Order: sequence, then C-alpha cells, then structure tokens
Amino acid sequence: MRIRTSQQESLKQGPQMAPMIDIVFQLLIFFLLTLKIVEPEGEFQINMPINQPPRQSSEIALPAIKVRLIANEDGSLNSIQFGERNLGSGDDVFKRLNQVILQTVGGDQAGGANAADTEVEIDADYNLDYSYTIRAVSACTGAIDPVTNQPVRYVEKIKFTPPKRPAGAAPQL
Amino acid sequence: MRIKSTKNSVREVDMTPMIDIVFQLIAFFMVINNFEQNQVDERVKLPRDQLARPREDVAEDNIVLNIGYIRNLEGVITSEPLVFYLGEQTPLLEFGPLLQKEARVLRGLKREAGDVTIEIRADGEIETGQIQEVIRMAQDAGFQKYTLKATQGDQN
Repeated sequence: MRIRTSQQESLKQGPQMAPMIDIVFQLLIFFLLTLKIVEPEGEFQINMPINQPPRQSSEIALPAIKVRLIANEDGSLNSIQFGERNLGSGDDVFKRLNQVILQTVGGDQAGGANAADTEVEIDADYNLDYSYTIRAVSACTGAIDPVTNQPVRYVEKIKFTPPKRPAGAAPQL
Repeated sequence: MRIKSTKNSVREVDMTPMIDIVFQLIAFFMVINNFEQNQVDERVKLPRDQLARPREDVAEDNIVLNIGYIRNLEGVITSEPLVFYLGEQTPLLEFGPLLQKEARVLRGLKREAGDVTIEIRADGEIETGQIQEVIRMAQDAGFQKYTLKATQGDQN
C-alpha cells in the first residue's frame, strides 16, 4: 500500500486567479484607452425671452446699454462702440469695455442692485467670429477679482440683437 | 534535536491588494465614462474665457446644441456651419424644424419649452450671426433660456 506523503497534502485547492486577473487587466486597458480628457467648461447665461407685452407696473425699466461689435471682412474684430462712444480696437479693447461697463453700473457698487437692473444688448456684425463675441460677453459680465480669484459680476442680463443678414445671403428657412 | 523542514513552505505572492487596486481603477474609469457628457462633440472648438464658470446651482433640463464645422486633418474647414445633434449633422439654417419638434415633444410630456435651457456649444470661428439665427429659431419654438459655453482659461 502506498502511503500519501505530506507534500501532496499541502497542495491547495483554491480558485483559479489567473483568468480573472487577465479579464480585469483587459477591462482596465479598455477603459484607459477609451477615456477622453475633457477640458473644464463654463458658461454665460444670456437673457433672450420671447417678445413679451410691456409690463403694467409703474416701474420704469432702464434702457439697455448698447455694445456694438464691428467686424472686418475676414471676421476679425475691427472696433467696439459703447453707445455712441468708440472704444477703438486692439487686444486692450475688451479691457476698456470692461472698465466702462463697471463705471456705468456704478463703480464700487458692482454686483449690487445696479448690476441686477442693468441690461446689455450686444449688436455684433453678422460675420464676426464668435470667439470675439464671447470675449465681449465676458467683458460685459464682469471680471476676475485679483485678490480672491473669484468672478465679480457687473451685469446679470445680456442679450443679443436679432440677426442682420448681409445682402445676398441665403434666405431664411 | 528537532530539525525544521523548509521544503514545503512555498512563498506565495499576496494578490489581494493588487486586485483591490485594479478593481478600484476599473470602477473609477467606469464612473468617469458615465459622467462624461455624451452630448459634447469634440469637433467643436469652443472659445476660451477665464470668466466662464460652471453654474453653482443644480443642473436643470437642457438641450445641448453643438454648432461647428467639419475640418480636414490640417484643421481647414470643409463644410458649411452644422448643428451636431443626436448623432445627426444638420445645416444650421435648417435646424428650426428640429427645435419645433423638440418643443412639441416637451408639450407632449406636459412641460414648457420655456423652462428648458438651450446650451450653445459653438465653435469660436463660427459667425456670430449664425448663433443669433439659432437663438431666433429657438425663440420661434418657444425656448427662452440660453447659455453660451466656453472652455475655462485665458484667451488664446
């Protein structure tokens, strides 16, 4: 009769880990390869209600501040007009726009009652690149506080004028 | 004297911590994939702005419109302005009927189009007038709330 040795007794009858680890690694590689790095996005709210009948309250609404964006033929920004005032062109023009908006809403009171009441209407040329419009919206909305690095809102309500198609453009569908 | 036998003492690697970590990584990537905005279209090159910040309140119902162009490998625009919506590419000026349809669907669900926000993710090179056209079409369909999306960061 053959006697069982102690070596045979020590063999373990555990679950097979190798296939599970294979699958797990394949899943890991799949998710790693399909991961898309998405840049953080922010947003600007604009105020474009459908034309409503005038309010019957006795409150007198403040007229909207008109900001006109004039484009060159290639879609780049030519100049900005704030009301009747020409703010000029160049990279600093958005900073100037930001300054005059701050002065208009009440200097140190930015973010206060004036900011809630003031409305800015952006009238951009049809062919202006959208990136300039976003910069103008940003300049009208507020600024980053250099101390706290948090945004300070100057104006809550921003709207666009209706589109003005250039002559000879495709008809509206 | 008792002699200690060392023949049978096999040193096995402890796999448990490694498997734990791997499972955690898998769970992480699965969650990231779920949270990833499926409505975001990578063909749209958003403008960049430092003041663009995500909303602090809870996200409400919204319709995301990706507006942009098709570009070739060199990045040159090869198409007219398109709205990338629900896997379809619709010429921008023909998008009005789709917005009307969305508004009808909302009415069917006993909801108002005016309560739904239109999120505009538009390419920085698109004409501003085209965005105004989309807003006008959305207004015609009854939508009233709009947000303009931008990538967070300093302007290029």
